Amino acid sequence: MPLSSSLQISASGLTAERLRLDVISNNIANANTTRGADGLPYRRQQVLFAARQEGSSFASHLSHARGKVSASGMGVEVTSVRPDLSTDFKMVKDPGNPDADANGFVKMPNIEPVIEMVDLIASSRAYEAGVTAINAAKQMEQRALDIGRA
Amino acid sequence: MIDRLFGGDTYTAATRALDATALRQQVISHNLANANTPGYKRQEVQFENELSRAISQHDNPCAPRINSVRPRVITVGNTSERADGNNVNLETESVNLAINALKFEALAQSVAGTFRALKTAIKGS
Repeated sequence: MPLSSSLQISASGLTAERLRLDVISNNIANANTTRGADGLPYRRQQVLFAARQEGSSFASHLSHARGKVSASGMGVEVTSVRPDLSTDFKMVKDPGNPDADANGFVKMPNIEPVIEMVDLIASSRAYEAGVTAINAAKQMEQRALDIGRA
Repeated sequence: MIDRLFGGDTYTAATRALDATALRQQVISHNLANANTPGYKRQEVQFENELSRAISQHDNPCAPRINSVRPRVITVGNTSERADGNNVNLETESVNLAINALKFEALAQSVAGTFRALKTAIKGS
């Protein structure tokens, strides 16, 4: 049933993009957090996406058994949310800060607001595209039902 | 007469094309869902060319039959849109989505027309 799997594929995209939006919001909210639970400044979090291949659902086993192999993938999945270790903490001179070291420098999170904003826009555009795809699939399903009504 | 209605080339081609269009919808959704997946390569459905070849060689007994034409999903791996290797272009996919939905609607109308003709044959008006 390609049309109903279209809806599930698009839904997986919406879920993934929403999670990415949450993580980006969290990064922006913590752009100035100098001390976390581990005593270190906040580290930027990254979301990793991977294309999801045909799953182990009953429907996919059934279609395999019937010799119908759909080569199309089954959407997207978030494999992990992990800390971004590729950049170091920023050192800012602020001797009055309680977290400052002996030389008056404070370790700030490795967050660039511009990068977060660009990611935010990319994510929200992808979300909109997914919503458009869902509406198109719904409309097509409606047209398919109209065949019987003729 | 009824065999002619349901075994006709137009009806067969339209139902096959409906299946292919629904599969293409799924593939476009998959591409859009993976618009931000690093290294993802977009997929495409190939169908129309093979169908039109089957239709044009209809009289040739060795040519593939219309109802044996199956849509194929291929991966377009040789292009890159971005530094991370992903080659999904949101604009292209959106346009394909719109074209595909219109195509589906046209095909659905064609199939519905076949049923209307059958109904007219049964009821006489």
